[in-house]
Amino acid sequence: MIDVYNAAVQRLSRVSGVRGALLVDAQAGVPVVAELAEGVSGTAVAALAASLFQRTAQASEHADFGRLTTLQVDADEGHMIAVDAGEVIIVVVAERAAQLGLVRLEAHRAAESLA
Amino acid sequence: MKKPAPADLRRWSDEVARDPTSLAFLPLARAYRRQGQREAARQLCLRGLEHYPTHAEAHSLLALLYLEDGDRAKAADEWSMVLRIDPDHFESLRGIGFCYLEDDQLSRARQALERAALLRPHDATVQEALQVLGTRQELHAGTVTTNASPDDMDVQNRATSTGAGPVIAADPSFRDAWMSPAGADLVSPTSTGSRPAGTSPAQPAGAAFAAPASSADRARSLALDFADPMSVFNSLTATGPLLGVLLIDAHGLVLAGSMARGTPGSEDSLGAMLGPAIAEAGRTVAHLALGDWRGMLIEAGVAMLHVAPVRPGTYVVLAGRRTAPSGWMLRSAGQAQEIALRYLEEYA
Repeated sequence: MIDVYNAAVQRLSRVSGVRGALLVDAQAGVPVVAELAEGVSGTAVAALAASLFQRTAQASEHADFGRLTTLQVDADEGHMIAVDAGEVIIVVVAERAAQLGLVRLEAHRAAESLA
Repeated sequence: MKKPAPADLRRWSDEVARDPTSLAFLPLARAYRRQGQREAARQLCLRGLEHYPTHAEAHSLLALLYLEDGDRAKAADEWSMVLRIDPDHFESLRGIGFCYLEDDQLSRARQALERAALLRPHDATVQEALQVLGTRQELHAGTVTTNASPDDMDVQNRATSTGAGPVIAADPSFRDAWMSPAGADLVSPTSTGSRPAGTSPAQPAGAAFAAPASSADRARSLALDFADPMSVFNSLTATGPLLGVLLIDAHGLVLAGSMARGTPGSEDSLGAMLGPAIAEAGRTVAHLALGDWRGMLIEAGVAMLHVAPVRPGTYVVLAGRRTAPSGWMLRSAGQAQEIALRYLEEYA
């Protein structure tokens, strides 16, 4: 399974504008596989992304909007996209100028391949 | 339309009296409207909608009744409701398109009228409204291009000189579209300008076609929209896959906006639930050194949400159908932020 995880992360990392990609254990909030730019702590990113995903998922379900599938956070300098893939969450950090459509497409493809 | 027989009227009336949930309320309300008994028709519609809140034709009839009473804002609200239920409801697209045109919201008018034209390409009233719209947009573009001061009188004079207003107002097919069955012509061929909604009886949908609304009228129109906090974002939710827009504070309390009937969850619960997620999003982007947080798109099984900061401590939340394109949601979020900012500047 770890090979499948590695392949998914490597493919995501090759998309233009992607600064890093990681698979995060949805429950524990720890990185399973990560490819991140130098100086970025995978452990911290995994913990924060998983926490944000969980909180948003709770809000969505409590408000009867259903199960959270994708979360995209936009900021001045870039984007973070998190996609539900069952036991893991796919997290991608991209530059502001990245082709978001392509990044999202690859993230969803990765989620399908892991499901 | 064929006049109902007295026997039909009695039958519908008896049915409604016997069973308040009977769908006979609709033909009965239509008959009352045709007889000029608008108040009775409106009461029937409102009671019927208590039992059938998503009955598009009842909302549509109610819109016409409001329009005939000069309450364009309420008419537009009802048409908005119809379009949430049935996005391809021709009469509502046309009606709300005319309302936008009167309010000088030209891009929204075009959006609604072009959709109406796709549904009925040969409808003369829609085609003429689109022509007037084109003339208006050219005039506006000309005003902007020459960088002249937006002298509404000048624009009005030029509009009149093009004949755009009289052509529409005098056109029998256009008049017929808005003719009340009681015989009251809702279009004033001699109208030379629009008055603020709610201040004139039977403000005709076509009257403002005679001349663009003045900037003062636009301001009044804006103030009227903003006067009801729940209607602040109605111009956005009138068409398309948006379910509603809310302006919330850092505590998750709703400051303005509303969700369509039938949207999962309540406004207050949605605001309260999102509070912790909003705080977490800010922390996450700060750690990732991504700069200031600008928005968060949440795609869930039933619906899609977008949350974005407006001012420190205030956020605008959009809810859309699950099928809404993500790019469209992001663009709509930008428009909602602008409206929210204007609302806060005026009322906060």
